[in-house]
Amino acid sequence: MWKFIVRRLFVTFPQIVLLSIIIFILAQMMPGDALTGLIDPNIDPAAIEQQRERLGLNNPWYVQYADWVKGAVQGDLGQSFRYKMPVTELIEQRMINTFWLSLLTLIFTYVMAIPLGIISGRWNDTWLDRAITGYTYIGFAAPLFITALLMVWIFGFHFGWFPTGGSVAPGLTPGTFEYFMSKLQHLLLPAFSMAVITTVSTVQYLRSEIIDTKQKDFIITARAKGAPESRVYNRHIFRNSLLPIAAFFGYEISGLIGGSVFIETIFAFPGMGKLFLDSVLLRDFSVVSSVVLIFGIAAILGALLSDIILSIVDPRIRIK
Amino acid sequence: MSDSKLMKTLLALMLVLLVALAACSGDSDDDQSEGTDSGSDSEDSTETEDGGDNELYSVEDFSQIKSNEGEAIEGGTLTFGLVSDTAFEGTLNWNFYSGNPDSQILNWFDEALLTWDENYVYTNDGAATYEIDESGNVFTFTIGDNVNWHDGEPVTAEDWLFAHEVIGHPDYDGPRYGSDFTNIEGMAEYHSGEAETISGIQVIDEKTLEITYIQATPSLITGSIWTYPLAKHIFGDMEVAEMSASPEVRENPIGFGPFKVESIVPGESVTMVKNEDYWRGEPNLDGVTVKVINPNVIVQELESGGVDTVSEFPVDQFPDNADMSNVEYLGMIDRSYSYIGFKLGTWDKENGEVVTDPDAKMADVNLRKAMWHAVDNTTVGERFYNGLRWNATTLIPPSHPEFHDETNPGVPYDPEAAKQILDEAGYVDVDGDNFRETPDGEELVINFASMSGSEVAEPLAQYYIQAWEQVGLNVQLIDGRLQEFNSFYDRVGQNGDDDPAVDIYSAAWGVGIDVDPRGLYGRDAIFNFSRYSSDENDELLAAGVSEDAFDLENRQKVYNEWQQFMIDEVPVFPTLYRSELVPVNNRVHNYYIGDGTNMYRYDIAVTQEDTIVAE
Repeated sequence: MWKFIVRRLFVTFPQIVLLSIIIFILAQMMPGDALTGLIDPNIDPAAIEQQRERLGLNNPWYVQYADWVKGAVQGDLGQSFRYKMPVTELIEQRMINTFWLSLLTLIFTYVMAIPLGIISGRWNDTWLDRAITGYTYIGFAAPLFITALLMVWIFGFHFGWFPTGGSVAPGLTPGTFEYFMSKLQHLLLPAFSMAVITTVSTVQYLRSEIIDTKQKDFIITARAKGAPESRVYNRHIFRNSLLPIAAFFGYEISGLIGGSVFIETIFAFPGMGKLFLDSVLLRDFSVVSSVVLIFGIAAILGALLSDIILSIVDPRIRIK
Repeated sequence: MSDSKLMKTLLALMLVLLVALAACSGDSDDDQSEGTDSGSDSEDSTETEDGGDNELYSVEDFSQIKSNEGEAIEGGTLTFGLVSDTAFEGTLNWNFYSGNPDSQILNWFDEALLTWDENYVYTNDGAATYEIDESGNVFTFTIGDNVNWHDGEPVTAEDWLFAHEVIGHPDYDGPRYGSDFTNIEGMAEYHSGEAETISGIQVIDEKTLEITYIQATPSLITGSIWTYPLAKHIFGDMEVAEMSASPEVRENPIGFGPFKVESIVPGESVTMVKNEDYWRGEPNLDGVTVKVINPNVIVQELESGGVDTVSEFPVDQFPDNADMSNVEYLGMIDRSYSYIGFKLGTWDKENGEVVTDPDAKMADVNLRKAMWHAVDNTTVGERFYNGLRWNATTLIPPSHPEFHDETNPGVPYDPEAAKQILDEAGYVDVDGDNFRETPDGEELVINFASMSGSEVAEPLAQYYIQAWEQVGLNVQLIDGRLQEFNSFYDRVGQNGDDDPAVDIYSAAWGVGIDVDPRGLYGRDAIFNFSRYSSDENDELLAAGVSEDAFDLENRQKVYNEWQQFMIDEVPVFPTLYRSELVPVNNRVHNYYIGDGTNMYRYDIAVTQEDTIVAE
């Protein structure tokens, strides 16, 4: 297996390089740059031009790319123009927020999806199953941002149960219990909003797997041997049906860093997704390139992780 | 439709759909469509009832100062909503910041040494006072004895000098080094590294500073002096290049204003407590919390009492929320105007100046004037903005009451006059397609660049195109669509690479506190996007900042002439003046917006601990 992992990483390396080049060129092709927003008669245009020169924004893209790669290899992703701080520091700040948000989303997703999927699969074609599949269809159809907006409006403003923006209430000291609770409270609504939508595909997977497995020969055998129904479901069917979900898990983990542009924007939650969008809009190139690179690496590693998990949980699969 | 309405409509629609889908997944389709229709219908009707589409407002009906009802309590904290769809940058020092969100935070805990009155002229009421010698070039500043930094150290003349040294330093990475600084004697030598010190700035004693400017202009006392000191006892040992990213700017910023920063959640919020040692006196409030709120939820945050007031409020949402019960709206004339510009030349990058092309498509002044006559900006202001934006007459907006020429009517809406001017100038329809051709008989298609962004951008652009069509001019949107902000300014020429495809464009300027329009219409101004230049314009602009212009009447006369000159030449024409509205919770006392109100932030108080919620 180690051989496989090493080989896989070896293959992914050129992918990442290619990705970074494409991102860099695309970023350069966007009209405007980080200084466009400074069109202001109170600021001397000469000062803006001087900054452009100093930041190297007037250089051709390959020179800028070379500069960037030189830094990136040494772990220095450059300086964010807008935030005037190192990109690594900025990303670290945002990644922590996104990590907790995604983790909670993941927990919500599985807590909802697994029971729903089991109920739906075990008693398929009953009214309960229809209700659950009905929900999954709505979930598939409803765009995430509409759902999120509804959630903010209903639970945030109408009932006032949850805060509607930010990641923590102002003025609390990090490390205290109150700070932790405030963080959690700020996470609940966005995490739940996202989970409501992301859960539906898992429910569907689980349901169809269970229905599929139910008719397999070994289940009939188990029943014929007189195993009680609960044992049949909990031991035999459930374990076998979790395979695709386990495979999916790797991708979900990569989502932990990626975050969600929609959710984070609607909830004004300072995470990676929002950082990405803001940087694109403000043409903060060094941040855009770095963030996309991290997303890319996360996706590639996620796929790798999925394969590894799969090989562990399913002995029939051998990676060579 | 305002965002809150949009959300409500969406909510109604979604709920109806949800109910329809969940309840009758097996039933006929009729039920669903009926349900959806009735849902949206009822929303529509309420919309027209309370939408108040035709109700007109005027900025004159609003006060700049909050009326005080009830008794103020001691202490309390105010929550200030910083409206921004992005996180704030967190460069919390006047000497380094570049974004507006940061300045909104800075205003609470730091301030300028000089304050200004309603005409934006420096007064002697601030933390420092100034005197000008007879030549007009040498300014002597005296900082008040009780003006101290938050850590108790006095604000000194050294600190003020240090700010100049840092901004003038070649490694400085902020946007402030410009003509205000190069106008100081010895600054250019210092900036280029030829001199160790700035010869024009002398520290007389601990609290007294003397600055010699190269050219004495009336602009100096309307905003061209750098009035923000930089704490030398904190930044003195730091490399200039590292200052803006340092924790002293980002995490523990310092100032000498009425509040002190207690804690910062990066990009989200700042908590401040009162500075008991504030030089004007102890603030009434115990503290202020500044938090970022998304522009989509401004109204909800205000209604639910999440914030007491906001940094900005979109005027197009005002008609729907005019009777919000828990706030009072303050209003004033914004320092800005919308305008339509005609491309009359290009930018010469080598020499850094405008090259006006006498053969440009829009070079005929009659054509330009006719286009101004053809548009009815009064109606635009009433229909699109309920009167909160209104017809503009000259290029100096009424936010500068001293210099805006009220008696000048501009060019009024008169389509008949427009047609007549065009007829006389030789723009007639030769080939019978209802559009006029050029005097040479060639087809005339005018390409119009307009920016996307606001909800009314599209209908507004269409209105202008139709208005011009009615006088027989064929105006087309570039690429058949609106331009996104960045590409719009790229094509109009923010880098000097003007796109020759653009003939006319519609944009807006926020104007500086100094009335001097050279930065926007001067021959060497890259922001002079119309690329208009003429000797007479140069003369008038120079006269406005000459020594004679120290005499207010003289300066007014010059600028009145300039306003009329721009109306005669029409390189651009102003379309709308704008107002700024800010809602403030009823519990807040002594709140104000704008300048020259003689009120200060330490006066602000509240009447109860909790924010009043809308009924």
